[in-house]
Amino acid sequence: MTPTIELDGLEVQLGGRTILHSLTGVLKSRAIGLLGPNGAGKSTLINTLLGFHAPSKGSARVLGLNSHTSGKALRSLVGYMPENDAFISKMSGVRFVRYMAEISGLPSDQAMERAHEAFVYVGLGEARYRPVGTYSLGMKQLAKLAQAIAHGPKVLILDEPTNGMDPPARKRLIELIREIREASDICLLLSSHLLRDVEETCDEVLILRNGQIASICNLVEERRANRKFLELETLGAEATFTTALESLGCECAVFSSGRIKVVMPDSVEIREVFKVAADRGVQIRRMNHRRDSLEDIFLNAMEQTGAADGRL
Amino acid sequence: MAVYKRRYNSYTSSLTPPWSRFFVLTRFAFADLFKSRFFVLLLILAIVPNLFFAGYIFVANNKTVQLLMQVRGAGADLFSVETRYFLIIMIVQTQIAFLLNCWVGPVLISGDLTNGALPLFLSRPFSRADYVLGKLAVLALLLSAVTWVPCLLLFGLQSGLARNGWIWSHLWMIIPIVLCSAIWILMLSFISLAVSAWVKLRIVATGVVFVSFFVPMGLGEMFNAIMGTYWGHLLNFSLLFQLILTSGFREQSDAINSFYGRGEVPVPAAWGMMIFVCLFSLFILNTRLRARETVRG
Repeated sequence: MTPTIELDGLEVQLGGRTILHSLTGVLKSRAIGLLGPNGAGKSTLINTLLGFHAPSKGSARVLGLNSHTSGKALRSLVGYMPENDAFISKMSGVRFVRYMAEISGLPSDQAMERAHEAFVYVGLGEARYRPVGTYSLGMKQLAKLAQAIAHGPKVLILDEPTNGMDPPARKRLIELIREIREASDICLLLSSHLLRDVEETCDEVLILRNGQIASICNLVEERRANRKFLELETLGAEATFTTALESLGCECAVFSSGRIKVVMPDSVEIREVFKVAADRGVQIRRMNHRRDSLEDIFLNAMEQTGAADGRL
Repeated sequence: MAVYKRRYNSYTSSLTPPWSRFFVLTRFAFADLFKSRFFVLLLILAIVPNLFFAGYIFVANNKTVQLLMQVRGAGADLFSVETRYFLIIMIVQTQIAFLLNCWVGPVLISGDLTNGALPLFLSRPFSRADYVLGKLAVLALLLSAVTWVPCLLLFGLQSGLARNGWIWSHLWMIIPIVLCSAIWILMLSFISLAVSAWVKLRIVATGVVFVSFFVPMGLGEMFNAIMGTYWGHLLNFSLLFQLILTSGFREQSDAINSFYGRGEVPVPAAWGMMIFVCLFSLFILNTRLRARETVRG
């Protein structure tokens, strides 16, 4: 399977400054989050992937297409929602989206149909005939999403999609992004300051700091690993309980006051732990999954690459 | 992604050929232009002189009408339709094209740049060259409709009415009509696109287009007066065009010389200057039309 994004010693210089320093990594998931503090190089990386900036060294590939040498072919697969305002203020919403879809290559009638569909889909159906310039900030974000999906791209690049949205609108947008991801074979690259946005929509994260890769983390594997790590507080025959768990293949560490940490193999489910406890007459007073949140991963990455200053 | 289903579907149907997509910009720009009543009025006024030119050609070739008007014999030369007549048509129509360009050109790019829409164009399989071509086509088509196209129609009318092999002895005029219009249209278009890429307010941009013609003209005259030369005329774009036009029509440019004085700029220099202005405007467009601005430092 072709990786979604491949970075091979990618270096980008802008205005005489090196913004991205030899980025190397392979991201295979369909939904990739891009995290990093301000000035980490997230937008520069997105712009480089879109072919807006030429790499000074190395290369970047999206779905196997070189961003520099096959820029046009790559951009024919992409739907892009930029971070900043990007619209034509005097055009009505639906005409604006139709215009963009036609530039992407859709025939006029198809573009019109898809523009209406995209507008209704993002929840702006009632406002589609109003000039985009009169939209609120949240509506403009949704209009940008509509133009990014109207032509049915294979890769959707979203740069800070929830900027300026109130909590219900943000929730709705995140739901839409998840729906889009699940309803088709579309690949997603989402850059956001909000860890929660990335955590809710992405399977893999690329964390940047000072133009360097701080971490590449597969959230699916991380979540799976977390599911297999239990912290128990028990009352009763601990020794026989842990022996029984070990006979199932679990690794156990017993602490004082009946606290036990258990690492379960993939074959063992949690209900089997309850069953063993019930058979041995052991009460499970408390059970916690280890919850290594994205925030922990992010902060760890920041600490490993330099002093974490708490800025996001 | 049907409206009633409210579900996302990818697009799998046919696409338009990539080479034709620049024309989407042209089509949408024309649709926006024709929403303006002022533009429609301006376009009609730009075409009206051609009706008078056509009427003149009709009268010139119709002895009955001349007799009815009681002008036949009294002024046989009054109705001569020869090279000089088409030269006058071209001069009038190209000046009208200049006015039309001042109204239409300045809004073509600024509307996209004001709210940062350019990255949306360029994040698609659409290059900056396609973008400029799409916008250029708007002006090229519009200005053609008031310059060489009506001029060729009038040429056809004259050819049809004159008979006696008039068309064969004047066929060469087609080349200067098209070629001179082309360089004028290109220069006007590139200047106003370059201005449109820098100035966002329409009124200011229209003013800047005017200024870009008249200030260099004034500077050129100052240069001529101080240095006692005629090379300052290189900054007078209207004059350069008229020089090219008169040489193309094999006419003497005495009238122009007597108006401006001190001799004449060589025609190749006039061509060179107009091409230079086009290239300089392209350079400005190239620096301005970027998906992302790079801050140096």
